[in-house]
Amino acid sequence: MTQQSTLAPPVATEAGSVQVRNVVKRYGTATAVAGVNLDVRSGEFLSLLGPSGCGKTTLLRMIAGFEEPDEGDIVLAGSSVVGVPPHKRPVNTVFQAYALFPHMSVAENVAYGLRQRRTSRAEIGARVTEALDLVQMGTFATRNPKMLSGGQQQRVALARAIVNRPKVLLLDEPMSALDRKLREEMQLELKLLQRRLGITFVFVTHDQAEALSMSDRIVVMLDGRVQQVGTAEDIYTNPATSFVAGFIGKQNFIAGTVAGNGRLVTADGEIAAADADAAPAGSAVLAAVRAESITVSTVRPDTDVNVVKAAVGAVSFLGETIQYQLTTGSGHELLARVPPLHGELLPAGSTVWCSWAPAHVQVFPNPHPSTGGQ
Amino acid sequence: MSKLSRNSVGVAALAFPTWAYLAFFFIIPVALVLWYSFGFKPDLFTAHDNSVLSLDRYFETADPTFLSTFWNTLQIAGVGTLICLLIGVPFAYWLAVKVPSRWRALLLALVLVPFWTNFLVRTLGWQILLAPEGFLSDALQTMHLTTGPLSILYTRAAVQLGVVYNYLPLMVMPLFVAMDRAGASLREASRDLGANRWRTLWQVTLPLAAPGIASGCLLVFIPLMGDYITASVLGGAQGNMVGQLVANQFNSAQNWALGSAMAVVLMIFILLTVAIVGAVILAVRAVLRHNRRVVMDRTDIESAVIEEAAA
Ligand SMILES: Nc1ncnc2c1ncn2[C@@H]1O[C@H](COP(=O)(O)OP(=O)(O)OP(=O)(O)O)[C@@H](O)[C@H]1O
Ligand SMILES: [Mg+2]
Repeated sequence: MTQQSTLAPPVATEAGSVQVRNVVKRYGTATAVAGVNLDVRSGEFLSLLGPSGCGKTTLLRMIAGFEEPDEGDIVLAGSSVVGVPPHKRPVNTVFQAYALFPHMSVAENVAYGLRQRRTSRAEIGARVTEALDLVQMGTFATRNPKMLSGGQQQRVALARAIVNRPKVLLLDEPMSALDRKLREEMQLELKLLQRRLGITFVFVTHDQAEALSMSDRIVVMLDGRVQQVGTAEDIYTNPATSFVAGFIGKQNFIAGTVAGNGRLVTADGEIAAADADAAPAGSAVLAAVRAESITVSTVRPDTDVNVVKAAVGAVSFLGETIQYQLTTGSGHELLARVPPLHGELLPAGSTVWCSWAPAHVQVFPNPHPSTGGQ
Repeated sequence: MSKLSRNSVGVAALAFPTWAYLAFFFIIPVALVLWYSFGFKPDLFTAHDNSVLSLDRYFETADPTFLSTFWNTLQIAGVGTLICLLIGVPFAYWLAVKVPSRWRALLLALVLVPFWTNFLVRTLGWQILLAPEGFLSDALQTMHLTTGPLSILYTRAAVQLGVVYNYLPLMVMPLFVAMDRAGASLREASRDLGANRWRTLWQVTLPLAAPGIASGCLLVFIPLMGDYITASVLGGAQGNMVGQLVANQFNSAQNWALGSAMAVVLMIFILLTVAIVGAVILAVRAVLRHNRRVVMDRTDIESAVIEEAAA
């Protein structure tokens, strides 16, 4: 929420704004993008998040102009760009595979876009220097890109895009090839860069942690459709669908029916949920409880709601948390993640009590009631 | 040091089949031809004698027939390579860039169709097609596109046509491979950075395809300089090529020494041509590099240069 307040209110004609209107893209009989609507504000860092094959790249390629939508409209800075070839669109792309020109040096790669605009030699020199400095690659100017590490190539690709000072930068999983440490460094650099330059970023990733930490807003996609658009906090605390709830963080889903008194009836007894009565009584629902919301203890907690007896299966130490795989009396699997300093490690095979607060239960319509929602 | 030399001995040993192949099919035959070229034809019934060595055969090659045929050959080979290039580049580009990948294998197979038949047979096919009393001639006359029978057979034009037909696949193949390897993602990156299709072709696709273009030209030009089948079948007296002269010395005239000398001159000439064209290409590339270079604002790139030198 706090990030949002630093943004200007949405103005559709602002230079860095992108509107995607009812866009559909089909490949043969398959629909890659099935009616997407998006309003990207000028200067915003917007992430497209979703599982593999959900249409993120296709959407980005339509904004860049490499594919044309079968239906709908794409508007950049207030005017439709449908039918405009890629070299005439005011956007630049950082490609997933970097796509650096192997027959040019680092500096020549970065200068490529400026040369197409017939920029003067002196200005090209100055701006290439500036862009390479920005990504801390100034000393590699004369190198061939083939002689760079993955992370360095990534930064050159970034410099090659931002040197043109686009209003909108499209990034397709630009950090998927980096190791974790380098990725975290780059995330920070990228975020700072975006703030400094005021460029609109449309950033594709399937790494939820990346999306949560960097974005002003996140778009969660599934099967070519938008599931939810919101800030990281929104999406974490108020997921719109069970898919979004399950996609961000580790989630336990428990199938049940609405009892009508703020409770749900499940195979493991009743569950109290803060928003249980949002759905009509008797309807099939899924209760979602985050792995980190579950408390595990050897003695029965002093409460009569949301307490389930379970057997400890596998125990894994994940660093910041310990993960318990638990099996309830009805045979349902639960995952619990607790901080390591929260008491002693419980051995596999022991019997424990799991509990959670009603406020931490989210209730969604069950999309597949017959299969128990799994 | 010893490890290094042992290693290189090992590598050389591993490459033995290559050496053996080269020795057998290239070095030994060429050495023999070179050796024969210093000999002479002793009498009517003996093809060669190397008992007296001299350079006389080389002076004999400098006669007007040989020189004019040589010049003719060079023109046919040069023009033929150029035409193959002019057809091959757009075709390979179209095949690698525009054609959906599922059609590509089929089209490539079609390009290779001529190779399914023997070189001589398919050239004879052209002879039948181009004959003044042939099918094409009749058809053109019936359609009133020409007055009188087709008179292209046994001219240089016929040789030129046959040569392009016979050698085009050798140009298309390496060109296609090179353009295909340049990849769609680099072309997209270029378009994304503001270059239209035309500029993308000149700045990305063609430079990356340059090795393929070079090998295509070599694959066409070199065998073409030595070709004599196309010229004998389609060229008659007007379309003579040097390969025919060499073959004549070996087959009908039975003068192996003179034939060898001609072959050596031909080889040296081909090497020189390739070297000159190569030098021109390198010069053009250096100029392009120079035009593309970026003069950076600061001079701390020196550190990169030093780093490079150290690496
Ligand atoms: N050129 C194409 N031809 C046919 N189908 C395609 C093409 N490009 C994409 N698709 C299909 O469209 C769907 C969406 O693909 P897209 O590449 O947009 O997914 P994505 O969200 O980027 O996935 P990932 O995270 O794996 O990159 C997929 O089912 C894919 O198979
Ligand atoms: Mg993708």
